[in-house]
Amino acid sequence: MKIEGTQKIDAPRALMFAALIDPAVLQKCIPGCEQMEKTGENQYSAKLTAGVGPVKGVFNATVSLEDIIAPEHYKLVVEGKGQPGFVKGSGELNLTDAGSATDIQYTGEVNVGGLIASVGQRMIQATANMLAGRFFKSLESEMKAQAKLPADS
Amino acid sequence: MIPASFDYIAAKSLDEAISLLATHKDDAKILAGGHSLLPAMKLRLMQPKVLIDLGRIKELSYIKEEAGQLRIGAMTTHFQVETSDLLRRVCPLLPETATQLGDMQVRNKGTIGGSVAHSDPAADWPAAILALDAEIVATSARGDRVIKATSFFVEMLTTALEPGEILREIRIPGGKGKSGQAYVKVRHPASGFAVVGVAVNLAADGGKCQSAGVGITGVSPKAYRAANVESGLKGNALDAKTLSAAAAHAADGVDINSDLYASAEYRKQLATVYTRRALEIAASRLK
Repeated sequence: MKIEGTQKIDAPRALMFAALIDPAVLQKCIPGCEQMEKTGENQYSAKLTAGVGPVKGVFNATVSLEDIIAPEHYKLVVEGKGQPGFVKGSGELNLTDAGSATDIQYTGEVNVGGLIASVGQRMIQATANMLAGRFFKSLESEMKAQAKLPADS
Repeated sequence: MIPASFDYIAAKSLDEAISLLATHKDDAKILAGGHSLLPAMKLRLMQPKVLIDLGRIKELSYIKEEAGQLRIGAMTTHFQVETSDLLRRVCPLLPETATQLGDMQVRNKGTIGGSVAHSDPAADWPAAILALDAEIVATSARGDRVIKATSFFVEMLTTALEPGEILREIRIPGGKGKSGQAYVKVRHPASGFAVVGVAVNLAADGGKCQSAGVGITGVSPKAYRAANVESGLKGNALDAKTLSAAAAHAADGVDINSDLYASAEYRKQLATVYTRRALEIAASRLK
């Protein structure tokens, strides 16, 4: 299953890229990410509660950042295993300047298996799109919060 | 296929159910028929610690006319809607929707309130509720809160119900003038859910469309009002050309679902064709 899209966020590209590879920011923005620990260079283990509405599963996941070319490109790979099945996803993010803002263009491939895939098939695509939407929404408010800090202090 | 262990409490009154929900909060789920909740629990996709059953609260099961509205209690079963003489007379869209919903077991046990509160993206009721401009009454310790259907369905499996609130009643505004209604669906052969479901509620006067409600389910992550279809009808004579031109806008501005059974492109085509058919049937029933 593919997810793709473009998101414009009102923050300069260098700042945007730094945020996207910052585990503290990723933890805040990945929907349902409860904890994230560094296990190696650009490698993290995470606990995710993913789902929609009251239907949820807990996943133990590994998150790794690959092919980092600052400040324009990297690949985010997430593999999660949990009681309701497994999720494997990888996404390429490309950042380009859009005036003082940044366009983030993403294309990803998500594979879901196990119980979730067999009973939830009709909702998976919509869920993936929704989670991607939530990620960028959180990222946007995180960038706004960061932009405010220096002015306030 | 065996659920995680849970406590079961059969509430004797709505007040008791509200206070039980206030006590157990997120650990609790309301059981209102259970034809979505129990399968999810058996698969352990949902593991509530407490089930609060509304099944024994008789005062939540009714269909009546009051204050110029139709009022349907949350625990009214699909079968009761399907066979209600009152509804067949004044709001045939609801029985027509119920007839096409699930299978006999689901219709006998499942409830309109349970289905609407669960808000499955392919459930049948949301289409009809939207087309009819219904209101949803949520109740909690703070009293009743009336929510418009158009703001009730937030996203897939998520509604505007707040923690502690229980869906109590569905209210349908009384119709004015000549009305014509229809529900048509493409039924998923295995689950019975709507691959595409279109509910239409038309009102006309002097051959011109006065108001149009078009609710569509199954197409997008949540059921929606097809605003561009409605605006293509309002004020116009409901001839074949107008209906077909309006129906072409059935999937305007929404994300379209894609799954093993139907690709987004196929679903969009189905939505257009079934919206046209629903409009034609509803227009032919104007009286």
